[in-house]
Amino acid sequence: MVLYNFKRITVVPSGKEFVDIILSRTQRQTPTVVHKGYAINRIRQFYMRKVKYTQTNFHEKISTILEDFPRLDDIHPFYGELLNHLYDKDHYKLALGQLNTARNLIEKISKDYVRLLKYGDSLYRCKNLKKAALGRMCTVMKRVSPSLAYLEQVRQHMSRLPSIDPNTRTILICGYPNVGKSSFINKITRADVDVQPYAFTTKSLFVGHTDYKYMRWQVIDTPGILDHPLEECNTIEMLSITALAYLRAAVLFVVDLSGNCGYTIAQQSALFHSIRALFANKPVIIACNKTDLQPFETLPESDKKLIEEMRKEAARAGAGLIDGPPPDEENCMLPMSTMTEEGIIAVKNAACEKLLQMRVEMKMKSKKINDCLNRIHVAVPKVRDHKERPPVIPQGVLEARAAENKAAENKRKLEKDLENENGGAGVYSANMHKHYLLLDPDWKDDIVPEIMDGHNIADFVDADILQRLDELEREEDERAAAAEGMDEDEDMSDQDLTPEEAEALAAIRRKKKLMLAEHRAKKKTADNKPVVPRRHDIERQFNTSRMGRHLSNLGLDPTAAVNRARSRSAAGTRSRKRDRSEGTGGDGMEVDEQANKRMRSRTRSLSRPHKEALPGEGFKDSAQKVKAMQIGKNAVKERNKDARKGEADRVHYNKKPKHLFSGKRGTGKTDRR
Amino acid sequence: MYAKKRYSEKATLKKTLAMHSERTNRHKADDQVQDGAVPAYLLDREQTARAKVLSNTIKQKRKEKAGKWEVPLPKVRPIAEDEMFRVLRTGKRKTKQWKRMVTKVTFVGPGFTRKPPKYERFIRPMGLRFTKAHVTHPELKCTFNLDIIGVKKNPNGPMYTSMGVITKGTIIEVNVSELGLVTPAGKVVWGKYAQVTNNPENDGCINGVLLV
Repeated sequence: MVLYNFKRITVVPSGKEFVDIILSRTQRQTPTVVHKGYAINRIRQFYMRKVKYTQTNFHEKISTILEDFPRLDDIHPFYGELLNHLYDKDHYKLALGQLNTARNLIEKISKDYVRLLKYGDSLYRCKNLKKAALGRMCTVMKRVSPSLAYLEQVRQHMSRLPSIDPNTRTILICGYPNVGKSSFINKITRADVDVQPYAFTTKSLFVGHTDYKYMRWQVIDTPGILDHPLEECNTIEMLSITALAYLRAAVLFVVDLSGNCGYTIAQQSALFHSIRALFANKPVIIACNKTDLQPFETLPESDKKLIEEMRKEAARAGAGLIDGPPPDEENCMLPMSTMTEEGIIAVKNAACEKLLQMRVEMKMKSKKINDCLNRIHVAVPKVRDHKERPPVIPQGVLEARAAENKAAENKRKLEKDLENENGGAGVYSANMHKHYLLLDPDWKDDIVPEIMDGHNIADFVDADILQRLDELEREEDERAAAAEGMDEDEDMSDQDLTPEEAEALAAIRRKKKLMLAEHRAKKKTADNKPVVPRRHDIERQFNTSRMGRHLSNLGLDPTAAVNRARSRSAAGTRSRKRDRSEGTGGDGMEVDEQANKRMRSRTRSLSRPHKEALPGEGFKDSAQKVKAMQIGKNAVKERNKDARKGEADRVHYNKKPKHLFSGKRGTGKTDRR
Repeated sequence: MYAKKRYSEKATLKKTLAMHSERTNRHKADDQVQDGAVPAYLLDREQTARAKVLSNTIKQKRKEKAGKWEVPLPKVRPIAEDEMFRVLRTGKRKTKQWKRMVTKVTFVGPGFTRKPPKYERFIRPMGLRFTKAHVTHPELKCTFNLDIIGVKKNPNGPMYTSMGVITKGTIIEVNVSELGLVTPAGKVVWGKYAQVTNNPENDGCINGVLLV
């Protein structure tokens, strides 16, 4: 579906602007420096590039313009005719055609001059050729500038056209000038059309949207039509006639009963009959407007007769398309008054209903609906005998249904029901305070302030605030008493300690002093002496006996710790193997422990000679391990001599450098190199 | 770019202002003398005019005989041979240098066929062959795009004329049938001479002035 939105057309620059834009872009986007001393090919390329670049830019810009403007033959005939009346189809096509030829001419110029540039043998010549090429292209554009100006105007006007969708549900309002068409559309839609007492206030089509049966309807307001033959109509009237002719819409013919518009009912009836041909296959409704000034009943007989005739015609026009029940004459003519707003909704509904019926009929008749209908099939069993076979509903279901109905009657009133009663979702807002539980129910609707005296009320609100207050007060009293107690003893003397406690205290203090002194010594000598990590504990200072001594000094039993340390050490793993197996008795745990021990042994590489084949490495004996190590070293030796990092480090040398193997000799032969 | 525009606008504005203020300017009163007005003491002498006319026709006839024509560009810059031709090296070792390529715009007639390429001494590239010229009529002051019929004379030498090289100052013959000129005898003129007024190799087109 083509988007009938002409707002996306690119701006068409004037001839001079066009030239300026393209030339300045060429100047900015192509290299600018070239000297006499460059190689001739480089100079040629430089200028050829400029010419080509300018041509491609022209081509691009003109192409976008030509593509953006709609082709009058490809769009919906309504829009085609509309644009024809507004802008004159021939002029439009000519302008676009001229632009197209300009584009082709520029291409030809560029080709010719690029060909000539190939023969340029000096910078001066190439430069002049480029100047000539660009100059010619710009003259072509300048010649086209009146077309560009026209197209720009067309574009500006087109972008302000109302976006009418010719295929959707539409209501078209027509009639004499000043009968009240624009007031009507103002009332039923949000369109804000100018309403003035002079004729031809509305000079173009206006669109508004309204809703009916959950669908969007377009309402189109047209300029008034005067009763004269088609050839004499001016552009504005032709707009309404085009709309009438090409849009499949419901037609709302507005008649002014009071003659306030300046035309009698006879004249309006004459107009109706003269444009009757345009109402073929469209549902027509005659709306008699301005009933506040001249109600329908008090009309003179002749006028009533004329209106009756119109109604008959309208009914006939409408009947042509809906076959089936006879035409509903009643609905074809409705009184209304846009000033007092009575009858407006009725008119709109009648028009929408008629159009809807017609559209549904059309859809049913078309082929597309059959695809849908084919998919729906209600299977009914064939009647084969006279036995009655009503549907069977189990008793339980019936009872449940009955209970439900009763419950529905005694249902309590839901909030939703309340909402529906009071005007619906947008109108009614529920009272949230209804179910508050307060000491005094009268407080339910009170407004609670949020800030008072500069404080947040929320900070002071608490359910058990009184309880907390009591607790706080109690705490305060206790603390006050304790503080008093504290004030009396100033000094924690040793009078309160037992002799053991005093001893312990002294020991702790001594130990602390020792540790502090050690730490300080360590810190002082940290820069002078290297700190040996514990791994290389050569003096064997840190052993279990030391640990045991420390622990016993603290007063703890060291045996468990010492045993654990001993069991986790690797020394004597082997000798322990048998003990272990006897001890734990052949369950999964022992394997894990041994594995752990073995892993630990590998990290303690210092405690084991490296030639010894440890279990888990995969060697039969140490001789095999030694041999394996030797093989490994041999493999690496050669690579190291080549200074290669590994097997994958491959270096390719240039075995035949070109300068030694090629070239002619000035004199002599090239047998040897 | 906008500065240039503004400058030109300013210049035109100044000119118009000057023109408007001409009204208040004062000029020296000039005693205009009409053409052909003769002072009183010379009124009786007429014969010299006719004599002058006679001698002028004789001079013209003499010039025609000599082949000297009045052309818009009487003198042109001489073009050296190395500017006109470019040496092409040919042969297996690119040592032969007897071929020349013309670097200026040329005209070859419609029935032109090249000599066998092996024996061609002067090469006239197709890209530099032109068939049309933009010729201005000096009195009508309008320009037409006319076909070239042939090269009449190249001021740089007869060799260039025979080759059809068109440079500035060359006299060419153009097809003026579309101008609709008629001789006094009633015959339609379809060929006229024009002189080339630009450097065609620099501009990519041949501009000329019709010799009426």
